[in-house]
Amino acid sequence: MDRDTLQKLEQLNQLSLTVQEQDDVLAFFAAREADWEALVEIDTEQVERMVHVQPLVNVLRDDVASQPFSREDLLAQAPESMDGYWQVPQVL
Amino acid sequence: MTAYETVIGLEVHIELSTNSKIFCSCTNGSDADPNTHVCPACCGMPGMLPVANREVINLGMTAGMMLNCDINRTTTFDKKSYYYPDLPASYQTTQWFAPVAVNGHVTIDTPEGPKDIRIKQIHMEEDAGKLVHDNLTFTTLVDFNRTSVPLIEIVSQPDLRNADEVEAYLERLRTLLRFAKVSGARMEKGTMRADVNLSVRPAGSQELGVRTEMKNMASIAAIRRAIEFETARHIDAIENGTEELVQETRGWNDDAGTSFSMRTKETAGDYRYFPDPNIMPIVIDDEWFDRIKASLPQLPEEKREHYMAEVGLSEYDADMLTQSRAFCDCFEGAMAAGAAPKDAANWIITNCAGVLNKRGMTSDELPVPGTALGQLIGLVDGGKLSSANGKRLLETLFDVAERDESIPEDMEAYAETEGLLNSSDTGELEAVVAAVIAADPETAQAYRDGREKALNPLFGACMQQLKGKCDTQVLRELLIAELNKG
Repeated sequence: MDRDTLQKLEQLNQLSLTVQEQDDVLAFFAAREADWEALVEIDTEQVERMVHVQPLVNVLRDDVASQPFSREDLLAQAPESMDGYWQVPQVL
Repeated sequence: MTAYETVIGLEVHIELSTNSKIFCSCTNGSDADPNTHVCPACCGMPGMLPVANREVINLGMTAGMMLNCDINRTTTFDKKSYYYPDLPASYQTTQWFAPVAVNGHVTIDTPEGPKDIRIKQIHMEEDAGKLVHDNLTFTTLVDFNRTSVPLIEIVSQPDLRNADEVEAYLERLRTLLRFAKVSGARMEKGTMRADVNLSVRPAGSQELGVRTEMKNMASIAAIRRAIEFETARHIDAIENGTEELVQETRGWNDDAGTSFSMRTKETAGDYRYFPDPNIMPIVIDDEWFDRIKASLPQLPEEKREHYMAEVGLSEYDADMLTQSRAFCDCFEGAMAAGAAPKDAANWIITNCAGVLNKRGMTSDELPVPGTALGQLIGLVDGGKLSSANGKRLLETLFDVAERDESIPEDMEAYAETEGLLNSSDTGELEAVVAAVIAADPETAQAYRDGREKALNPLFGACMQQLKGKCDTQVLRELLIAELNKG
């Protein structure tokens, strides 16, 4: 992990780290670099891809619509709302 | 002057015709009042767990088979992370590592003959919400009704070369998916949208040029204009150096007829795809695969051939019926209920299409089942319902469907309740005939004197008094007999 990669991740996640926080994250990754490299060296060529850690498949439901949730209860969770909409800072 | 070739690939999003959303049981109905088909799961509340809708998997497989794809027998969902207010969880649940269908093709007609457009993959995913930009408060309003509405995305290989081929490809996709009842696939309703990836290269070159993507195109006419504009812009940049082409997402302003830069295109790495740990893998066994395979409809061109060769319809009738799966279903149902093929085709192409047109509905929205139409035609042919009242009865069936009520199973009983059945009381007909002749002795005498056309006004007066509810042949015979008595 280098500073450019970290800054790209910050931008993608809409985060803004201080220089000190960046240093802490970079130090965290640097301390584990040998571990990552050891993992990369493991030969997984013949290992079948594990799809999921749980031995469950086909957890599905029937296509039946239920009663809607209360809009008022949901909008009560919104920082701001207006005319039945969630209201957020302008994005365009 | 260098000749150039346009290289186009499409990503087509199709909204699936399900009752409920893909990962929660909210109604699939994004046209309702804002945020009335929402729950904590589709609003991205922490701790909510998704449960996949079985019908979405069925329709994903159906689409894959209709487009000649291989079906992945183990298919999984993944998280695609990006940050935008229409995506409450900050990730979209989609398929990246094992999409439901891969390696298919669709054949289109071109002036050079049939051409296969390869399908790279079809994946299932959830739609995002809708944003409304409020210019009074300078805020953005968010409606989550569309969030988690099920979609399939059909990704083609870059095999298309011009706007005509793109139009033929989109029309073929639409026909196949409507026939298989995967989706209404209506661009004007937003249930079919296309992202157009386009680049330009010197003719004969195997290398791809710089690719730009125009997102969320919702009309074939706009797509045609955008392709023509972008092709010219790319060639101008290459030939004259008017600008540096960069890989980017562009919007299309159809009013101005120009494209504009939106943002530098993200790469797959930016989305940080990873398997969704909350949705278990889906394993499609032979029984499930075979069941979907057996449910596939006959292709429209196969039906057309069958209707002409074996049912005996004209080319025109076969073409008209195979425009729509609903027309075909109604036609076949009417025949099964005893209607003659030509009669059934005429009623659908003329009368049903007329009512659909009057009500601003498409042929896919025909609400009348074939069994009902077949019975209706039988009542008309059997003299129990006049042709005019048959059309009235048909209109009432549209009204019944519009009220979300069930179409009655017994058409004769229903026509009787509606007061449209012909009178079977000969005495009533004789009384009306006698009254009409008595009221207009001059016209009656004219007929007796040999002016045959004088029968028409007398017949019309009888029909008016009977409100059209009679067997016209019986009435005509009674009227002539009464007049001949002198």
